[in-house]
Amino acid sequence: MSTSTDEALVEAFQGGDLAAFDLLVLRWQRRIQGTIYRILGSEDEARDLCQETFLKAYRSLKGFKGEARFSSWLYQIAVNLCRDRMRRRRGRSFVSLDALGDQGLRPEPLSREAGPQQLAEQGSLRGLVQEAIAALPEEQREVIVLKEYQELTFLEIAQALDVPLSTVKTRLYRGLVNLRGRLERQGVRDVAVLPAAHS
Amino acid sequence: MECTGFRDALLDVLYGEAEPDTVRRVEQHLKQCRSCDDEMAGFRRVKGQLASYTLPARTLAAPRSRGAWPIGLAAAAALVVALGGAFAYARVGALEARLAEQERRHGRELDALRASLDVARPALGSTAESALLLRVEQLLKNSEERQGQRLEASLRELAGRSEAQRRLDLARVRAGLSYLDGRSGHQAARTAELMGYVLQAAEKK
Repeated sequence: MSTSTDEALVEAFQGGDLAAFDLLVLRWQRRIQGTIYRILGSEDEARDLCQETFLKAYRSLKGFKGEARFSSWLYQIAVNLCRDRMRRRRGRSFVSLDALGDQGLRPEPLSREAGPQQLAEQGSLRGLVQEAIAALPEEQREVIVLKEYQELTFLEIAQALDVPLSTVKTRLYRGLVNLRGRLERQGVRDVAVLPAAHS
Repeated sequence: MECTGFRDALLDVLYGEAEPDTVRRVEQHLKQCRSCDDEMAGFRRVKGQLASYTLPARTLAAPRSRGAWPIGLAAAAALVVALGGAFAYARVGALEARLAEQERRHGRELDALRASLDVARPALGSTAESALLLRVEQLLKNSEERQGQRLEASLRELAGRSEAQRRLDLARVRAGLSYLDGRSGHQAARTAELMGYVLQAAEKK
């Protein structure tokens, strides 16, 4: 894949090099699709909205001025499409069982005696985490997904969501609190502990 | 969390975005504040648990044309345009060469005929025979002019047919991509719209 930066590819596209856009798609498609999937919980919707994201980006890229990073701009498009989709789904359960279909499992509360090995063997943890994320308020879910799975910086998330930095941190904090509480109530406790982070 | 003033700094440390001074300040606070220390430990646990939420293999698979962005759409369209142009150019070039060869042969035949006339001319004495000679030369000149006009007309027609063929090829590509990608009429319409943008860009080049 090209070693050119996103900004260089954008500039090439704006200069008439259509192939530069294909390189941007190849570079970002999986991450965008993964983000949408985790926000909406549906593979089909993730594919549809991923394509829609890049179509919108293609239409608008000529006018992209580079005030934010290209990736932040792309995530913004994807998140806005997710919001539109969720608005249409209002009232229905956000939880999609697409990912659980292969396993044939529905997440069930575990007994408090279930240890990490049992959880892993049953494959329930993933489902519980998915359900917990799906149960978050939309704005907290967006930040959790962008931070935990796309590893965007706080500033990049602020640009993608077009909110202040402090708002991003507030939503993230509340999201983590909610997730912790829900997973603990489901019986998930000492599955994994990360070492202290170092900057 | 009781110490709200540390909340943002705690998140910065948790996600590795804190300056060294902030890291030291937070670590010092965690040693003294049980509540914040429990909070931080809880968040680290959650982060570990969130890591189990991997994507399904299908979602991680390489992009497919069906339901995914048609990779190479822009390149495919541009390639068809370029190939169509190159093909047309090659066809025109080959025909030009054939026509030019025909013209050269025709010219050689005319030259040979003139040479024969020149040889015969001194032997021609009468006015009628000279008039006949002039008439033959005029016919030769007319023939050359008609040949040139036919060549020009043929080239114009070929250029027109090549352009029509190019557009037909592009339309086929468009239909093909729409078929591959369109699970619904709406998607096909989006793909067709995108092709329109690509074609416009190609034509402006």
